[in-house]
Amino acid sequence: MSAFKRDKKEEEDGGGLPFQNIEKSAVLQEARIFNEASVNPRKSTAVLTKLLYMLNQGERLSPKEATDVFFAMTKLFQSRDLVLRRLVYMGIKELSTMAEDVIIVTSSLTKDMTGKEDMYRAGAIRALCSITEAGMLPSIERYMKQAIVDRSPAVSSAALISAMHMTWFAAEGVKRWVNEAQEAVLSDNIMVQYHALGLLYRIRRADRLAVSKLVARLTRLSLKSPYAVCMLIRIAAQLIEEEGADSGSPHFQYIEACFRHKSEMVVYEAARAVVNLERTTSRELAQAVSVLQLFCGAPKATLRFAAVRTLNQVAIAHPAAVTACNLDLENLITDSNRSIATLAITTLLKTGAESSVDRLMKQIATFVSEISDEFKVVVVQAIRALALKFPRKHSSLMNFLSAMLRDEGGLEYKASIADTIITIIEDNPEAKETGLAHLCEFIEDCEHTSLAVRILNLLGKEGPRTKQPSRYIRFIYNRVLLECPSIRAAAVSAMAQFGASCPDLLPNIQVLLARCQMDSDDEVRDRATYYSHILARQDTSLYNRYILDTLQVSIAGLERALREYLDGEGARPFDMLAVPVAPPPQAAELDAKPRAALAKPPPTREDNFAERLSALPELQALGPLFSSSEPVELTESETEYVVRCVKHSYARHLVLQFDCLNTLNDQLLEDVRVQVEPGEGYSVAAVLPCPSLPYNESGSAYVVLQFPEDLPSSVATFGALLKFVVKDCDPATGLPDVEEGYNDEYMLEDLEVTLGDQIRKLGKANWGAAWEEAEGLFSEMEDTYALTSMTSLEEAVTNIVKFLGLLPAERSDKVPKGKTTHTLLLAGVFRGGVDVLVRAKLALADGVTMQLTVRSQDEGVAELITSAVG
Amino acid sequence: MGLFQRLANFLGVRKKDVNVLVVGLNNSGKTTVVNSFKSEDDRITDIVPTVGFNVERFQNQNLAFTAFDMSGHGRYRDLWEHYYKNCHGIIFVIDSSDRLRLVVVKEELDLMLQHPDICQKKLPILFFANKMDCKEALSSVKIAAALGLDKIMDKPWHISASNALSGEGLQEGVEWLTQQIREMLSVKS
Ligand SMILES: Nc1nc2c(ncn2[C@@H]2O[C@H](COP(=O)(O)OP(=O)(O)O)[C@@H](O)[C@H]2O)c(=O)[nH]1
Ligand SMILES: [Mg+2]
Repeated sequence: MSAFKRDKKEEEDGGGLPFQNIEKSAVLQEARIFNEASVNPRKSTAVLTKLLYMLNQGERLSPKEATDVFFAMTKLFQSRDLVLRRLVYMGIKELSTMAEDVIIVTSSLTKDMTGKEDMYRAGAIRALCSITEAGMLPSIERYMKQAIVDRSPAVSSAALISAMHMTWFAAEGVKRWVNEAQEAVLSDNIMVQYHALGLLYRIRRADRLAVSKLVARLTRLSLKSPYAVCMLIRIAAQLIEEEGADSGSPHFQYIEACFRHKSEMVVYEAARAVVNLERTTSRELAQAVSVLQLFCGAPKATLRFAAVRTLNQVAIAHPAAVTACNLDLENLITDSNRSIATLAITTLLKTGAESSVDRLMKQIATFVSEISDEFKVVVVQAIRALALKFPRKHSSLMNFLSAMLRDEGGLEYKASIADTIITIIEDNPEAKETGLAHLCEFIEDCEHTSLAVRILNLLGKEGPRTKQPSRYIRFIYNRVLLECPSIRAAAVSAMAQFGASCPDLLPNIQVLLARCQMDSDDEVRDRATYYSHILARQDTSLYNRYILDTLQVSIAGLERALREYLDGEGARPFDMLAVPVAPPPQAAELDAKPRAALAKPPPTREDNFAERLSALPELQALGPLFSSSEPVELTESETEYVVRCVKHSYARHLVLQFDCLNTLNDQLLEDVRVQVEPGEGYSVAAVLPCPSLPYNESGSAYVVLQFPEDLPSSVATFGALLKFVVKDCDPATGLPDVEEGYNDEYMLEDLEVTLGDQIRKLGKANWGAAWEEAEGLFSEMEDTYALTSMTSLEEAVTNIVKFLGLLPAERSDKVPKGKTTHTLLLAGVFRGGVDVLVRAKLALADGVTMQLTVRSQDEGVAELITSAVG
Repeated sequence: MGLFQRLANFLGVRKKDVNVLVVGLNNSGKTTVVNSFKSEDDRITDIVPTVGFNVERFQNQNLAFTAFDMSGHGRYRDLWEHYYKNCHGIIFVIDSSDRLRLVVVKEELDLMLQHPDICQKKLPILFFANKMDCKEALSSVKIAAALGLDKIMDKPWHISASNALSGEGLQEGVEWLTQQIREMLSVKS
């Protein structure tokens, strides 16, 4: 009786998850029954299922554990139980990457795949391919070729798909099965035909001409399988893009002909391909859009969904064509399928006029709670685009967003809303106060730590500059009382910013910080103590340096510098200047990857270069790497030798890294070096050749130069010549025919060393304060220029920022609409750690006039900048 | 499970399942030996070198044999040991015409006999001095001497000269093995 009760209870608790609490060691223990002399299929099936479930949950086995259980499992081959055997195939696939000597089952599997039992064959093929290494391919080739053309569609498909997987590691071997694949592509079975095309394409993918021939041949054949036709359309569309072809191309004509195909799937695929092509004329577009329009009214929800989703995706690129479907989209707003309705509305929002915004937003509000996060993100993105397009609508959009913020939702969704609010605030000063208010309200009840921390940082940055900063303090201090340590720490930092920027709030802030010094968490206490001491000094320059400006170094660089310091056992004091600086992430980058911004920053390009360069003994005396330029091409594309240059600046040296690629298959290059004709004042300190450069490989040669003492000469143009020893070789083997090579050289394009190469961007949270502080302390240079080639303030701003390589502060790179004057504020560091602040006052009148004021710790640097612009 | 099998189980006349391991160097004829134990219709016509192992079934008297036919290629010999546990007997096939590799055979045999999963047990070992039809084939007596079989004290063993292609000698050997396994099982139970 009691046992019965317990069973009953377990059943209720289990909630349909039979393997909820399984444990690795227990499962491995149970798997020993596989070793028993006579197999018990029922028990073994249960244990193997459990094992597979566990592996699929992400459990990892050590190589020994995996190998043991794998070999135990191979003994199950003695049972002929159908279900068990198919589970064994799955087990082999799962364990093939973890266990050793998995090829032991090769013969057993080839026997199954060629045997009489049809139920075994497809599974055996898939398992076989998962255990076969490139070197073992010949031993199964015969069976695979047979299987590809097998009369059973399941077997043929399994072989084709497996072959496709094998091209990843044995492309050459699989190529030999192309005849069989070509036979399979003629199959009557729609899946086999589709899979065969997939394999043929995979085999030829790298060779555009071969792909083109394949498409030409198959388009004439009129394939039976709609899946294959869809794939052919995709391949054809890709060819059109790659060849830069137009509507005259036979590939395009094929796609167009598919508009009349009897399968809806194919018709849709053709329309999708056309609207996504980069170069389409309005006529071609109209035809494709009218197909999608028709599908918008289709009875099948999948078709409506596909059509509206595609229209949504191309709405920004082809607004005019999509507006043609407005009526149909309006009809879909009330579609019972919420995903379709969402896409319809957001498409209308993307293309619609300002007047329709309110109406559409009201529509969305009626069902936003019913759609999944994924679609909510689509809505948020549409709102962001709208807010940027119609700044006057900010209050109704902002209200909508804040309502969405209050709803349930995952991190990605919430982060996309917060990102959008932040973007709106940054773009539109009028929206700032309301936006911040919404965010304050949101962090009162936010379960995502990373998001709360971000918003607190934003409040610390923006709050002090609002009309009434004090109103934000309460929201921030509430976090200190209620949240986890990382949020409390962020709140402490935010409060300190108010203390540093708003003198009348300082006494209150000090009281709050004093309370925080009693916090139970180390980090929170440390921050509070740190800030409280700095604020007690009442010194604005300290505030600027240690509270308002955050540490702008590359994290990986800092880590490396600290490690070196510890290895040196503190013989010398730690030098912060030796750490490469890194600018704060730009708004544009955050926009592109809102999620990445939440994660740990990856090592920057500079960090990677620094690693690589510090490995060269000749460069170790140069000190830390200051900055690295984007690569510059020094050869035309498609020449015999391809050379690109990356310019690395050190405090006093310039290292030119020449990445060279040898595209001649009958030449081996040796002792590859670049001879530069440096500008005046430069001196060559070292030349590091690349010892050997075989065909199709790239290698790097370096030239180390010392910068001229006279700063203005550092901006210069260098001549460059590639020199090397050629050894002719046999294209087939790549081995040289001769012992002795001959000298040869190759002219490269001139290389420019610019101002930007010697400067790094630096963020200044409070640029104004830094500018004032620099007055008198720094050297100042000023000059006025006429930028005749510029026709707008925006254009001037973009060019100046790019030319000087400095970071715009206080969002001064955004020029408000309709203005004729603008002030651009910039900050950065010159190599050697010299601070640079630049103010550019711009006025639009027949071109742009600019008054440029430079303040820098070093007079020479200030002069260099003013002279470089002129 | 078919009705007849279930009935047979119920009556206790179910055939006993036993596992045997078939080992030996590559090309000695293991797969051919196992193939000739199978019923006419199940036999395969073209035998290719085994990669890894194959499981085959055959019957002798009322024992149902499951044979693990292992690959004898150098690369796979280390893997035999995974199958030593829980087997009831071993068939060791030797190419009696391959005089050169007889030392390798001895080495592999000794390794196997020393393995912890084998050395403790009283497993019967059946040796086939196979390819007896070849001109240069050594007699089973000479092979037994070359391998030092007389030093195996703790396990029953037997050597038969055989021709796996014609089937000659196989029956005699497998009957001995069946007998041994049957005895072993009855002692245990
Ligand atoms: N002449 C002769 N050839 C045999 C005999 N047994 C096997 N063979 C041949 O030897 C080769 C190897 O046989 P196989 O069974 O694959 O050996 P395994 O590697 O031990 O499995 C095949 O060509 C067989 O036909 C035999 O008794 N006499
Ligand atoms: Mg074999």
